[in-house]
Amino acid sequence: MANEVPADLAQKAAIMREFGRRRAAGEPVSDELLAKHVNATNDNYTTGPEPGQRLPDFSLPDQRGVRRSLKNLAGANGLLLVFHRSADW
Amino acid sequence: MLEKNGVRIAAVSYDSQEILKGFADKHGIGFPLLSDHDSAVIRRFGIFNSNIAPGLRAHGVPHPVEYLAAPDGVLIRKYFVENYQHRVTASSVVLREFGGVAEDAEVITLRSGALTVEIGLSGAKAFAGQEISFLAKFKLKPGWHVYGQPLPDAYTATSIAFDDPKIIRQSFELPEARRMEMAALGETLPVYGGSFQGFGSLLFKFPMDAGRTMLRGQLRFQQCGDSVCEPPETIPFKLPLTVEVFMDAEPKR
Repeated sequence: MANEVPADLAQKAAIMREFGRRRAAGEPVSDELLAKHVNATNDNYTTGPEPGQRLPDFSLPDQRGVRRSLKNLAGANGLLLVFHRSADW
Repeated sequence: MLEKNGVRIAAVSYDSQEILKGFADKHGIGFPLLSDHDSAVIRRFGIFNSNIAPGLRAHGVPHPVEYLAAPDGVLIRKYFVENYQHRVTASSVVLREFGGVAEDAEVITLRSGALTVEIGLSGAKAFAGQEISFLAKFKLKPGWHVYGQPLPDAYTATSIAFDDPKIIRQSFELPEARRMEMAALGETLPVYGGSFQGFGSLLFKFPMDAGRTMLRGQLRFQQCGDSVCEPPETIPFKLPLTVEVFMDAEPKR
């Protein structure tokens, strides 16, 4: 995979737009474009808190509108908290 | 499987509550899908993806990370792969943390001399681009050992490697080996005896043909007893896997 990562947000956006357009249109995506897209998307990949640290608390509505926090989500042995892109696309 | 082990699961995304409700209803999801619509919690966790310009649909998404936390909120382990198409599966988490191979995954048993090894995947099914795990349970008869690392050239360490073009990255870890003094040789070598487990991961390429396939791998080791050392051995094996049809998550417009 190509390693160059565009420094500029606009360059990254151009790559992501082209990738999205091709995928949506059902056009083939070259390995090079896929690599550029992945590299642009994953630049400065951060992963948040480290093992041993306490996760930041939060209060967010679930799909039924019920407010949920770390405390009321965890089971007897803990919680797997998954951050993902989108359920919509 | 996580629930059975007392671990609840919850997912966070920047989707609105309406979208999450529609998604949960459509797919029959019972666990909480949390709406972080302004990405405030994503930012608080420090995983906001700042590569995506405002105006793009994906602006606001996190770098994908999964956190396994204790009931008091202290992080035990986190899982991430640096390609948004790759996912760590819940069953991989169960395998690693609780030693359970998926109920629907086949476990193969390899035997040679004093050694028995059972190898199973974290799931019988996988998507292209997904990372799955495997567990290897070793058992040696009393008085026998195999080798760990680091090891002089004359010996063969215990390893499992897959030689399959579908796998683009793999790992295999064993626990720290016991140091055993070989009086006759004047050497101290890392060894394993009794029962022990190794844990590995396999990252599949993307795209991949859907359907049933066999993953080819090799177990390598050298078993030695108190008075005799067998020659190094390589045992090839095959593990069945079903590659699922990739559901394209891109827009339909």
